[in-house]
Amino acid sequence: MSAAAPISLLRCAGCGRLDGAGRTVCAGCLSFALEPVEVAGTGRLATWTTIRRAPSQFRDDAPYEVAVVDLDAGPRVTGRLAPDGAAPAVGAAVRARPCDAPYLLFELLPAAPSDATRRAPE
Amino acid sequence: MRDVVIAGIGSTPFGRHAGTPIEQLAVRAAAEALIDSGLPRERIGAVYLGNFVSGPLNGKEVLAGIVADQLGLPNVPCTKVEGACASGGIAFRHAWLAVASGQCDAALVVGVETMTHAPTSQTTAALNCAMDNTHDGPSGLTFPGLFGLAWRQHAQRHGTTRAQVSAVVRKNKAAGLRNPLAQMGAALTDEQIAASAAICDPLQLYDCCPTSDGAAAVVVVARDCARGLPRLPVDVLATVQTRGASRIAGHPDLCSFDATVSAARQAYALAGIAACDVDVVELHDCFSIAEIIDGEDLGLMPRGHGGGWAAEGRTGIGGDVAINPSGGLLAKGHPVGATGVGQLYEVVRQLRGDHPNPVPGAAIGMTHNLGGTGVACTVSLLRRGDA
Repeated sequence: MSAAAPISLLRCAGCGRLDGAGRTVCAGCLSFALEPVEVAGTGRLATWTTIRRAPSQFRDDAPYEVAVVDLDAGPRVTGRLAPDGAAPAVGAAVRARPCDAPYLLFELLPAAPSDATRRAPE
Repeated sequence: MRDVVIAGIGSTPFGRHAGTPIEQLAVRAAAEALIDSGLPRERIGAVYLGNFVSGPLNGKEVLAGIVADQLGLPNVPCTKVEGACASGGIAFRHAWLAVASGQCDAALVVGVETMTHAPTSQTTAALNCAMDNTHDGPSGLTFPGLFGLAWRQHAQRHGTTRAQVSAVVRKNKAAGLRNPLAQMGAALTDEQIAASAAICDPLQLYDCCPTSDGAAAVVVVARDCARGLPRLPVDVLATVQTRGASRIAGHPDLCSFDATVSAARQAYALAGIAACDVDVVELHDCFSIAEIIDGEDLGLMPRGHGGGWAAEGRTGIGGDVAINPSGGLLAKGHPVGATGVGQLYEVVRQLRGDHPNPVPGAAIGMTHNLGGTGVACTVSLLRRGDA
């Protein structure tokens, strides 16, 4: 099983606050000493939507899923869902895939094997 | 701070005004409001004009000064105000502040936007300026998409159904049929709504407000200076402006806009009233699900019950609280900078007892104007002057 791609965030050298919003100044202490740091690309799917009418620069991508993900590392981020993963559900585990495009790309993890034992009897 | 009243109102129909220059729409609404107020022009001490994208879509920026010049107003401060979809509400608050603080005795508020003349790609790009494009643009998020994200969370957490959201659409579109200012009133069925084009799951076409041209205006006057004016004055009990997250992932709760919650709390406290005292509300239903979220954020119904209330008719005329009897943004359309002032226009007509969809006996009204991803919000509370 491949591991999650790491995600690059910013950490304040002054107060240690982790920023997922691409700020240039720390929202905690107003320091400009923000340094890139890699965090694990794992988290939970907060919500998603399927964009069918896209802005002109993304027309060729449509339809695509935009997702909001709560990273295990703390910050909440926006990105896309890979179309070939498991079906999305609020709260489902996701992991980041390497991606050349200027957005974070997440995939739904397949349900854990232990979930199968909780299915109702046939 | 002095007491302030709304002494005059004016509005163009919202819809397609192809070929009408943007400043002419503003002038029409403003002149109507000035005449309605009975106030001589030279008494106007300030002009606040709410507008979002007149630069990109119309090639004009200094609209406040242009409109004041066209109206022959004195050499008073004229300020264009931008806060995405909350531009109109913010302009109103600043006019209130100028009068309440004693800077001037009367001020003119105008909201205006023209959008229908531009190609769709240009309008979409302009509307997306209300997003934090650096952070929310790269993923391909759109404004309907923002509300698709919120709807899914609301459904997950509160069990809100497609049928409940459709009840909002049917109510507002039907009300729009009876409002001459509304662009797209319609008698719709749940089947028609569900079958309309998919925009971004779960939103369909009829869940989205139309793009629109239009202008609306109000004249605010210090109450002590308004004696002898012809119209029943409407008291401004409170007008509050707040900010919220500028990008979607910045919202701590995706089923709620904290800017609205905060503004409403402050407004009720300033006015000395509770949510249950409000008779009529014009709130920001840019999308159907937004009316449900907004109603809960404003404290008009318990959290999670917005869908149920709509389906049960509790937000229609004759219900617990009349929400968007004008038809709201869904039926009137959303000429962005004009909307917040248009909402004030509609509530003032309700409180004057003069609205085509009357809420009988309405004494206290509320407007709610929300910009961008909930980055800006205004909530205003108005009361009939003789209540």
